[in-house]
Order: sequence, then structure tokens, then C-alpha cells
Amino acid sequence: MIDGPFLAIETSCDETAAAVIDARTVCASVIASQAQLHTPYGGVVPEVAARHHLGTVNVVIAQALADAGLGLRDMQAIAVTQRPGLIGALLVGVSTAKALAYATRRPLICVDHLLGHVCASWLEPIALDPPFVSLIASGGHTRLDLVYDLARPSTLGQTIDDAAGEALDKGARLLGLGYPGGPALELLARGGDAGAHRFPIALGGKRTRDFSFAGVKTALLYVVRDEGELTPGRRADLAASYQEAIVTPLAARLLDAAREHRVPAVALGGGVAANGRLRELVRAGAAHAGLRVAMPERELCTDNAAMIGAAAQFTEPVPWPDYLAMDAMPSAPPGGIAV
Amino acid sequence: MLTFALDTSTQSPSLAVTRADRLVGELWLGPNPGAGRRVLEGAHHLLAASGIDLDELERIVVGIGPGGFTGLRIGLATAAALGQALGCPVVGASSLEALAAGIAESVHAGAVVVPAHDARRGELFTAAYDVASDGSLSERIAPLAISAADLADRLASVLGAGTVVVAAGSGALVGRDTLRAAGITIPSEAAAAHRLRAAALVARVDAGAGVAPIPVYARLPDAEVNRLRAMGASA
Ligand SMILES: [Zn+2]
Repeated sequence: MIDGPFLAIETSCDETAAAVIDARTVCASVIASQAQLHTPYGGVVPEVAARHHLGTVNVVIAQALADAGLGLRDMQAIAVTQRPGLIGALLVGVSTAKALAYATRRPLICVDHLLGHVCASWLEPIALDPPFVSLIASGGHTRLDLVYDLARPSTLGQTIDDAAGEALDKGARLLGLGYPGGPALELLARGGDAGAHRFPIALGGKRTRDFSFAGVKTALLYVVRDEGELTPGRRADLAASYQEAIVTPLAARLLDAAREHRVPAVALGGGVAANGRLRELVRAGAAHAGLRVAMPERELCTDNAAMIGAAAQFTEPVPWPDYLAMDAMPSAPPGGIAV
Repeated sequence: MLTFALDTSTQSPSLAVTRADRLVGELWLGPNPGAGRRVLEGAHHLLAASGIDLDELERIVVGIGPGGFTGLRIGLATAAALGQALGCPVVGASSLEALAAGIAESVHAGAVVVPAHDARRGELFTAAYDVASDGSLSERIAPLAISAADLADRLASVLGAGTVVVAAGSGALVGRDTLRAAGITIPSEAAAAHRLRAAALVARVDAGAGVAPIPVYARLPDAEVNRLRAMGASA
């Protein structure tokens, strides 16, 4: 555990973020989103992301310190996302964090991005303590973990093909919406009937905690191709039905896992956790089962540095200057979370 | 002014500590893939060997490229963060100009020096500079990514016949057959002219050639090239 305030940095994908954290308190959290920058390409372009992180990261750090009313010398440690993510993007954050920690003679904490999502609800004001089951659903990841110890979540299930957010983005594109498509799809779905079209729900067996979204996406592709020109009403119906086929297994498997392992709470994280329909389903199911639901607000669900600061407190710090050769890593370790 | 300088635009990153116009210490990292990732480790060892305490540093000077994208960014991110933490200024200098300054030491006034890093994909990151009688450089061809053959053509078209042209750097070595065939002089492989010295960046800054520490990529991201091509095709 770090004694006093410390800085956390996140640059693994398309958000440049910094936060000042003190125990469970978020003193400051600043996020510079690049999402609009990637819109013309229809997805995150690694080289474009890396170019934008450089320079932006120093501004975001200065802003977080100013918001917290603290200086860099007040920071007791520097935490940074080390893996997984886009290597060029990660390297900007890791190089920055290493040099800041080195020059201030502070320890460095190399954090797993996914542990960050798992730990987001541990922060105030939610302040969730284990045990709970965590669902992380984003454009890059979809996984369920059983959390008895925040330093060592154990995997219950993962997607075997696309991530949920990726499936939502691809569906949005098929329905003629721009990138990033998840929020646009949700908006369109609000005016549609979720029961209008029956999309297959993959791995529907009761036992599994894994996910699969490639089949739903292909099914939508066929519908759009076969029906040709869609009326606005039909598009909204398809959006609602498609969204339902993606969020239903997310909610159901999360709640089933909590019941099976007899834990009193469930937590959501990742960009898809901001989806209103998913939140509705989880809230309703949890109320029925008597489970506590930890749903961070949108800024704490999507990529941010506060969650990296949370996870840093369950990760071993590396003392000055033993981290000089530490490196960013693009992939997740076996099992999915580095602990 | 006690200055720490670093350049990660080449396969063999260069670090230096200078005080006023005197070199305190310098080192190069071995030319391994990803050598840039060891730049902070190198800085720590160089400072220790130079007997310099980190907090004494008054200025950071960094090479802004062009060069390998990832390596370049590691150097610039490291420089920016050191400056942010130490509260000292961070100044950029052209990596190609620093290499050119080294080549210019061994040529006569009136010659043209051509620094060239290997840019892969059959291209060089290069530029061309006139060397004045006082040894100062003036830009003749701005930094760009280009093949050795196109560089030779370009030089032939902008330079008068009989101009002495000396090229050096990893790119000049990769393209040496083509460049030599075009009458361009390339020093032997062991010559110091092929190595970019971070101390030369400091000299450039002190000569008034300092710039903002913003990278010069000299190439668009592939996705942008493809997007522009698609737009061109549909226009
Ligand atoms: Zn994430």
C-alpha cells in the first residue's frame, strides 16, 4: 500500500489519462479522449494513437496535479499501465512514468490494465470490497472474474472470439452508423423493439461462463444483406434486437456466476458497462437475487487512470531505480491478468 | 549549463552530458532492435559514471528525428518527463542536423553533407546541407523519407556539377552502392561520421538551431496513406 498521494498514468489505447489517488480517494482524474481522431479510419489506428499520446500525456499529468492542488514532488509513487494494449501507445506512458519516477526518486508500479477495470469499484464513492464477481466488457476485452482478493482475481470466463464492444461497433457499422458505434447503436436501439428479430445467443448452455459474439455479428450481416434498404423503424428494431443479443448473455452470466459462487455483489467495468440496457438488465437481475451492484459512472468504466491507481495498490511497487529496464508489453499473460 | 542530451532516432541511441561547451561524458547503446527502451538505464549509468547528480541537470536536449517512430517517441517521452520532473527546459534539435554536423567536420567549405538514417522499406530518412566556410550548415533539402536512387537523382538535380557530396549514417551505408555510383562519397564503415553524437545536438542548440521537442516523423501513418489513397480513388 502506498502511503500518501501518488500519480497514475494510462495510455494503453485511445485515451490519454492521468490521476492523483490517495488510498480510495480520487483526488483528480483527467482524460483526453482521442476517439474523434480515429473516426475517419473506422477504428483505433495504433500509430495515430501513439503519436497523439506523446506530448498530450505531459499536459494531462500537469492538469491532474493542478486539479489535486499538488506537485510532482508530493507524489509518493508513479503507477502506469504496462500491459496489455497497443505497444506504441503503452510505450509513451511507460517511458514517461519511468522518467518521472526516476527523476523524483520514487517507486514505479507497473499495472495490468484489466486489473484496473476490476479495481475501479474499489475506489470511493462505491468502495466495493471483495468478494464479488467482475464483468469487464469493452472494445478489446470481455471477461468474468471471481474476486476474493483484488491482487489475484481468478478467471471464470472470457470471450472466445470478438469482444462485446467490438461486436457493438461492428453492428453499428453494418447499420450505417459511424465509429465509435456503441453509443450510437444504443441511441438507435432506444427507438426500436428488442423482440423484433431473434438473433442467436451463442454458448447458451447454462454451464458456460465464456462468451462468443462472432455469430451474432454474422447473423446481422445476413439480415442487412438480405433485406437491402432498411426503413428507419426496421433499423431501430434491428439495433435493439442486436444489442439485446449482446448484453443479455453478459448480464445473465454475471448474475449466474455470482449465485453459483455465493458472493454478495457484482461489479461492471469497461466501455460496454456504460451501456444503459446492460445496466438495466444487471440492476433488475441483481435486485431479484438480492445482490449488490457496483456500477461506476461512465468515466470510471471507460479507460481512465483512476482505476490504474486503484489497481496499483494491489500491485508490488518496484523501488528506485530497479525499474529502469522495465518495458511495456502488448499482450496479456496466460489467464488474462498479470498479478 | 549542465545539459543531458539524448537521441533515439537511430538503432544505436546516443546519450551525452555536457557542461558549457565541454563534453562531460557520452555513450551509445548497442544497435539492437528496441535499443531505445534501454535509454533511461543508459542515462542512469552515464550520469553515475560522469559523477553528475540528476538534480544538478539544468537542461534536456533531445533529437527530434526523423527516425524509427517508436524509438523516437521513447526518447521524446523520456526527455519531456525528465524536464517535467526536474523543472528544467527541454529543447529539441534535428537528429539529421546533428549527424550532418559530424560529417561536416571532415569536409571542406562548399561541400554538401547528406546525413541518412536507415528508414527500412527501401528508404532513407535524409536531408542535405551546405557547409559554409565557418563550418555552419544551411539546409538544402529538408528532411524526408526517400529511396537511395531517388536521393541520388534529387541531389544531381539541385546541385551544380562538381559539388563534393559526402553522405554518412546507417542509411548511407545501406544505400552505399547506389550513392557511390552517383559520385557521392561515403566514408569507410568504421568512420566516426556514421555515428550520431548526442553532444552534437547540444552544439546545434547552442548555435541557435534549437526547436520545440516535437517529433519529425517524415512519414504519414500507413492508415493515413491508405485513407488518402482511397479518397483519391473515389474523387
Ligand atoms: Zn480498458
